[in-house]
Amino acid sequence: MSDNRIQVEICIGTPCFLMGGQSLIEELEWLPYKYRSKFSFQASHCIDDHCENAPVIKVKDRVFENVTPEKLKNILDQYLTREVL
Amino acid sequence: MLDQTVSELVKLKRKLYIELVSLACQDKLVEAEKLIYQLIREDTPRYRCCQHKERAILRERIKLALGFDIEDNIPIARLTELVDQEPLDEDIITILNMACDSCPIDKYIVTDSCRNCAAHRCLNACPKDAIYIISNKAYIDQDKCIECSRCKDVCPFGAINENVRPCVKACATGAISSDANRQATIDKDICVNCGHCIRGCPFGAIGDKNRIIQVTNSLLNPDQNTVAMLAPSFPGQFGYNVDSATLKTALKIMGFNQVIEVAEGADKVMQAEAEEVLELKDKGANLMTSSCCPAFTELINKNYPEFTENISTLTSPMEVTAAKIKKENPEAKTVFIGPCLAKKSEAARHKTVDEVLTFEELLCMIVGWEINLEKLSPIEEFNDPISDEARSFPASGGVTAAIRSELSESDKSWINFEIASGLKKCSQFLKTYKPDNKFSFLEGMGCEEGCIGGPGRIINTKIAKKMVEKFIKSQKNNKSQKVKQIAEL
Repeated sequence: MSDNRIQVEICIGTPCFLMGGQSLIEELEWLPYKYRSKFSFQASHCIDDHCENAPVIKVKDRVFENVTPEKLKNILDQYLTREVL
Repeated sequence: MLDQTVSELVKLKRKLYIELVSLACQDKLVEAEKLIYQLIREDTPRYRCCQHKERAILRERIKLALGFDIEDNIPIARLTELVDQEPLDEDIITILNMACDSCPIDKYIVTDSCRNCAAHRCLNACPKDAIYIISNKAYIDQDKCIECSRCKDVCPFGAINENVRPCVKACATGAISSDANRQATIDKDICVNCGHCIRGCPFGAIGDKNRIIQVTNSLLNPDQNTVAMLAPSFPGQFGYNVDSATLKTALKIMGFNQVIEVAEGADKVMQAEAEEVLELKDKGANLMTSSCCPAFTELINKNYPEFTENISTLTSPMEVTAAKIKKENPEAKTVFIGPCLAKKSEAARHKTVDEVLTFEELLCMIVGWEINLEKLSPIEEFNDPISDEARSFPASGGVTAAIRSELSESDKSWINFEIASGLKKCSQFLKTYKPDNKFSFLEGMGCEEGCIGGPGRIINTKIAKKMVEKFIKSQKNNKSQKVKQIAEL
């Protein structure tokens, strides 16, 4: 797979893991192919000190706080549609 | 996967625990009341009518988090001073009446199957005259209904539908019911403190008393020897990448003097339990049940007392391990860390274990201590000689497999091994059990899938099972490596 994919970091540092970071990682397994082909996912140990608003993900250079599995998909969708446009 | 999604309410509870531990570490616990205003602000999400109610509920949660009853009408600042004197209590599950939404789910509803029959048995059965006939159909006045189920029982068409509240549905013992005001109440004579109702209630209206502050204070006291006893279900609960050595290192940083695997006690229990099976069989008994799950043994003691004699007389691995620690060091404070809430009750009843934490509570403490396990480099590995069977206790079937491993082929052939995981299945077995001429051994577990499905877990049960297996494999490698090293010498 060519790696023009958008980088997504998911924090699994302890504060994020406790606040639901683990369910984001679990969600990845269920993501349809259209996401997996456009994004490359990586686990991170801590993203820029946003622990207060865990769990946190980073897409390219933008940090998203208080992410839930539903929000995760919405965020990725934003990037998908922007690309299509 | 949905059950693992951390709701905003769970997050709020966890944030509260983190902040309380953090305050205790700074010796500022007396300011705990300010958390009410810090955690609930104008801009934080709202689940109740107003922020004042939200704050009032959080105040009750703080009392529970400090280990007190919500009825204790003492200012929080004063409670924080009394916290170390508060003993471990057997009753740990409480309804937060203020948070209970008195679920306006109408428990009984007349469906379209009602034929407005001539008998009108529903009308006659209702003790509150709550049923009317309106436009050719029975109708239940929900303001009068006391949810007694008589109308449903007598309807010849089965036209009356029963809706069950989430808390009642989660409770397999039938201890939760609603009072005249439709508020949930717990019958303490039936409740086994399994804790599943806490996860069941979507309003977060059921709370449990916990001991995070007592343990924190003990860890902060340099003169107090504190020993962590990790339940065998721990692998993976603190992060998928966090191995046992990292966790042990973190616990040592927090001030635990020793970190011990409870599987060590399980090793002894399984040997003794296998001997007991043989003994009972020779005495002509028909049934023996396991005794390691406190929710299951309490289910028998409280709801099926006719089977009390059949429970194995052995104490649980937790108590065996604690007894050994106390024997070596009577001054030590033993802290059991597991996925279980019923263990808190067990500890309070038997007084061998001083404190009990769930994985969730410990992880909140770790965050309160500002430790990020992902960034920690491990120092000390577990290297206790513990059998794989003992480490497999936490998954359903683990106890049975361990006992089988202790018995000879001919012994095994005359034993009927039964496994019941989840209180519902345990009840089913006990209700339908009839002695036959073959000796039966029942492994009874209060949680589905065994301890790894406990209410104090953090990760998905399926993953937890894999993580336990992975840990066992890694320990095996350690062991064989050690054997190699010795051989080389």
